[in-house]
Amino acid sequence: MKQFQYTRAVSQQSTIDAIAKPGTKIIAGGTNLVDLMKRGVTAPDKLVDINNLPLKNITSTKTGLHIGALALNSVVSENSLVLQKQPLLSMALKAGASPQLRNMATVGGNMMQRTRCAYFFDVSMPCNKREPGTGCGAMGGYNRMHAIFGASEQCIAVHPSDMCVGLAALDATVIIAGKKGERRIQFIDFHRLPGDHPEQDNHLAMGEMIIGVDIPDNNFAKNSYYLKIRDRQSYAFALVSVAAALDISNGIIKQARLAMGGVAHKPWRLFDAEKALAGKAATEENFKQAAQIAMRDAKGYEYNSFKIKMAPAVIAEALKHAAGLV
Amino acid sequence: MKETTTLKKSAQTDGLSRVDGRLKVTGAARYSAEFNIKGLTYGVLVGSTIAKGSIKSLDTKQAERAPGVLTVITHLNSPKVPGYQDGKPTGNGVFKIFYDNKIYFSGQPVALVVADSFERALFGASQVKAQYNQDNHQTNLRANVNTAKAPHGDGTYKRGTEDAWKTAPVKVEQEYIIPSDIHNPMELHAIIAQWDGDDKLTVWDKTQGVQDARDEIAQIFKLKKENVQVNSKFVGGAFGSALRTWPHEVAAIIAAKALNRPVKVVLSRADMFTSVGYRPHTWQKIGIGATADGKLVGITHEAIGQTSTYENFTEGTVGVSQSLYACPNVNTSYKLVALDVGVPTWMRGPGEATGAFALESALDELSYQLNIDPIELRMRNYAQTEPQGGKPFSSKYLDEAYKMGAEHIGWNDRSPKPGTVNENGWLVGYGMGGGMFGAYRDGATVKAIMMADGNLILQTAVSDIGPGTGTAMVSIASEMMGIPAEKIRFDMGESSLPQAPTQGGSSITASVGSAVYAVCKDLKEKFQQLIGNGGTDKPDYAQVLKQHNLAKLQVTSSAQGGDERKKYAMFSWSVHFVRVKVHPATGVIKIDKVACVADSGHIVSPKTARSQIIGGAIGGIGMALMEEVVFDHRYGRIVNNNFADYHVPVNADIPQIDALFVNKPDPYINPMGAKGMGEIALIGMASAVANAVYNATGKRVRDLPITPDKLITMDVELS
Amino acid sequence: MEDTKHHTEPECEMEAKDNSRRNFIKQSTLLTAIALTPGTAVKAAGMHIDEKIAEAFEKMPLKMEVNGVAHNLSVEPRATLLDILREQLDLTGTKKGCDHGQCGACTVHVDGHRVNSCLTLGVMISGKKITTIEGLAKGDELHPMQEAFLKHDGFQCGYCTPGQIMSAVSCIREGHANSEMEIREYMSGNICRCGAYPNIVNAIQEVKEGGQPV
Repeated sequence: MKQFQYTRAVSQQSTIDAIAKPGTKIIAGGTNLVDLMKRGVTAPDKLVDINNLPLKNITSTKTGLHIGALALNSVVSENSLVLQKQPLLSMALKAGASPQLRNMATVGGNMMQRTRCAYFFDVSMPCNKREPGTGCGAMGGYNRMHAIFGASEQCIAVHPSDMCVGLAALDATVIIAGKKGERRIQFIDFHRLPGDHPEQDNHLAMGEMIIGVDIPDNNFAKNSYYLKIRDRQSYAFALVSVAAALDISNGIIKQARLAMGGVAHKPWRLFDAEKALAGKAATEENFKQAAQIAMRDAKGYEYNSFKIKMAPAVIAEALKHAAGLV
Repeated sequence: MKETTTLKKSAQTDGLSRVDGRLKVTGAARYSAEFNIKGLTYGVLVGSTIAKGSIKSLDTKQAERAPGVLTVITHLNSPKVPGYQDGKPTGNGVFKIFYDNKIYFSGQPVALVVADSFERALFGASQVKAQYNQDNHQTNLRANVNTAKAPHGDGTYKRGTEDAWKTAPVKVEQEYIIPSDIHNPMELHAIIAQWDGDDKLTVWDKTQGVQDARDEIAQIFKLKKENVQVNSKFVGGAFGSALRTWPHEVAAIIAAKALNRPVKVVLSRADMFTSVGYRPHTWQKIGIGATADGKLVGITHEAIGQTSTYENFTEGTVGVSQSLYACPNVNTSYKLVALDVGVPTWMRGPGEATGAFALESALDELSYQLNIDPIELRMRNYAQTEPQGGKPFSSKYLDEAYKMGAEHIGWNDRSPKPGTVNENGWLVGYGMGGGMFGAYRDGATVKAIMMADGNLILQTAVSDIGPGTGTAMVSIASEMMGIPAEKIRFDMGESSLPQAPTQGGSSITASVGSAVYAVCKDLKEKFQQLIGNGGTDKPDYAQVLKQHNLAKLQVTSSAQGGDERKKYAMFSWSVHFVRVKVHPATGVIKIDKVACVADSGHIVSPKTARSQIIGGAIGGIGMALMEEVVFDHRYGRIVNNNFADYHVPVNADIPQIDALFVNKPDPYINPMGAKGMGEIALIGMASAVANAVYNATGKRVRDLPITPDKLITMDVELS
Repeated sequence: MEDTKHHTEPECEMEAKDNSRRNFIKQSTLLTAIALTPGTAVKAAGMHIDEKIAEAFEKMPLKMEVNGVAHNLSVEPRATLLDILREQLDLTGTKKGCDHGQCGACTVHVDGHRVNSCLTLGVMISGKKITTIEGLAKGDELHPMQEAFLKHDGFQCGYCTPGQIMSAVSCIREGHANSEMEIREYMSGNICRCGAYPNIVNAIQEVKEGGQPV
């Protein structure tokens, strides 16, 4: 690991000033950043440790739930407000990483974590995300874990987070601070598709930082479920994961929210499937139909075509769990 | 409440706890990288990024200038290794580190950066710039099977008629494939090397055999054996990866010499995938036929495994087909494909585990074709004598093992029709698979010292990679001497101690245990001589020493096998039973219940033996369900060289496991009647899982691992 | 940041407190002209400037309490808590199994919570209390979890064991040891290649059911 300067931020403003300089990165939990620095995937000149900033709150607001960017994944997953209002988020968090990592990782850091693509991690391999212009190693290589939606010729990596899949389904908003003050962005618009710039994971601009997430109140708490399929029962990244949330009244779905992980460069929201479910009865048959709708634009590669078969099965299964049919 | 009941039923806490357990649970046990030696320096290896070719240039200037970097060793400046001058300089021999510019595999060390701290060495290593002349590499076994060659002779075995299975009324012919699996012990391979002058060397080294390591190092560096001290007091697992001396160990010794300071080299987890061996990717084909009533007519078993271009590695892959069942006609062939990869090595259950996956899967397939219960099919072909030469077995209670396991798993609940049992949306299936492994015994020597206070010290140069060798030896001595275990100390893990074999091939309890038995017997005789006629067999040793004014009484004894091996065929046997649940839509597989039975003679140390069986079973579950080295053949490079992408089982994957023992002594192998169990704990397990998955789903996965994606994309096969 | 002397941002209080660095800057007029960016020491070495000066520049003070003992250390920011424990404090009970947060062998408690010390930069835990496996027992009296691991043979080679035990203690403290299934899930961040999982679960259940304080 390259030597770097380490400073401890004392205010949001000083952090924003510091990260305006190229080569400066924020460190919070460090679970992803330190790993990447050890491998030489990233080599910042300076780290600004923001753990002392007052961004850990989990509070009820008039319209929903606010979670500070520095709230730990473990703390959020056990928080009584979260469990009561947004159990889907708790489930998604608990499906990720390990208890130790969740004790370190923050909500903001989780959003900023980078892909687990092997070609991104190995600095001797080509990767447009790590080193633009070197090519995509995964495209013609081992792409079992890779995207079936929204990939480009430049990159077929997936975003590895579980938490983000939950937040995408829950219509969350990201609160961002920068030189010009605060701005808010829909969670589903925070991460981006790779296009011609896979080096950019999200729409956070240079000199901006995440300060929190808002989740609007909803009627999904009773009928939500996070289902993650992986190569072992725990401590593994998703082959496919689904966050499913239903607002059911008298057996009829009033509203549905669905997002998938492990299938795209960003948490993949299934709007068409949600629409198809609205007004329908909460039955396995309807869930399967919605799952098929969700797969319309899927495109498989040499090793990941199985996801085209697996994903709808996971969607339907997650919906069954959410509806209490399992 | 349910779990509590499970706990009470299965938790077996009787028997001697590990004699080194306290050191392990308090963090006081020191492994090879953990000796705080004055002036210690840190070495980090730089690996090749190409799989085949040669080094065109190496720029080490930047690395040498990095703060704290003391030296950068490459083939350009490496002090000559005297033993490396022998034999052919390249190819056809052990890979010689920093010897020349040839590249044999991706990840091969091309430089060692040594610095005054680990961080600085690691950074220095990132600053070494290598350029290569790249040749076309081959890392794909399947694409190169046409180049397969027999490692020695024609690699074939035959009894009876060749391919007789083809004439049988009921037959199966299938291909079975295992990927390469990595031992991946939790402890990274590590060595600290310290020279004392030009001709004396001490290493703290992760090795399964301190004396074999000593001999190898002495040979490589042309030192007198007595001038090489190898210490391996605690070994954080190995499973075969520390059976030999690897190039990184030589590198540390070279650097320590060049710097005249102690050098520590710890492999990275990524290095563990390329530099310390693995279970080789192997293609197998089995043809097996039987009469309608289930009598085997013939077995044909072909295997092609991968090896490296610079060294052949061979193992007993097809041996199980030769010896597991009474079958009149058997022919086997074994070949290797040399690839531009690191050399494989023995991994727990070595070739037998690979072969047993194929044979025991094929037998299961045959059982469905015959519509005969898999256990019954095995009983109808039970080998009463060794099928190859007809020798009697020294002991074999595999039939009892079948019964015990079947009872514990609830085999009667198994439906003979695959895919028919559904429990709350999960398909349920049962499978079984067995294995065998030669029961070996080497010579060993143990020194026993009875101290004035009645404490007994035993010393021998064995090392313990985890099974609990010290605990087993103390158990034997405790029983022999009639003194409590707390009064016995077992010294091991230093090459200067009396001779002991390398810990491998499930032979240590039989080998060293026999020497412990012998030395205790001899020590008691010495006491008898002191006491005179009529003394008790187990006297108060301290009192006897006091009466005779002796500070201690010591004796050194050796033990080795006699000609019993000429008369008897000696094997340990195992059978594994598994109940799985498979989610049909998502392909998720849950191991629901496991019962493993070992016929490994008398159980010397029940508590650690149970753990050893459970551990082997879990290794087998990993092999069956998740372990797989993946290459990107375009680059000849492994793309999952870490614990996030190369999956081994975690706690959530593993239920309570019933570890059962026939526990009947073998009358011939050694005085304790104990046979090995380290290998058989794993052999056959992968097939048990695969067979259970088939029983649950009707889907037969013949290429491991059985991952969810394979299950959901394959069709049901019903016979 | 071109020159810390002119840098007035309060965020840099750690830098300001870094005496070795300030002294170094005062002493070396030559180096004040060099951009104070990482890699400066590399440049310094390249310019044949005394390496000791470069070393002082690259290190930072670190105060932390490990197993009740206060330590005042000087560490490079890139040094992980794991390497500091093992290489500087000779507390080798905390193990390195992967160095990337993928195995749990390095699990320690920071202010009572289990974390992977391999992904924790030492400078980030300044002022915190660390407990390692060496600090779990009270003198000769083993912690109940250590006793239970012995009794249930919750290990073989022993290498993952310190991490397992630290994690197991947390598993109960966090309230995640209420069933076998829950224990298995909440112990899945600690890989055991010898395969002692069922015994580990049994050990944790016994401690949990025994109700001893952990």
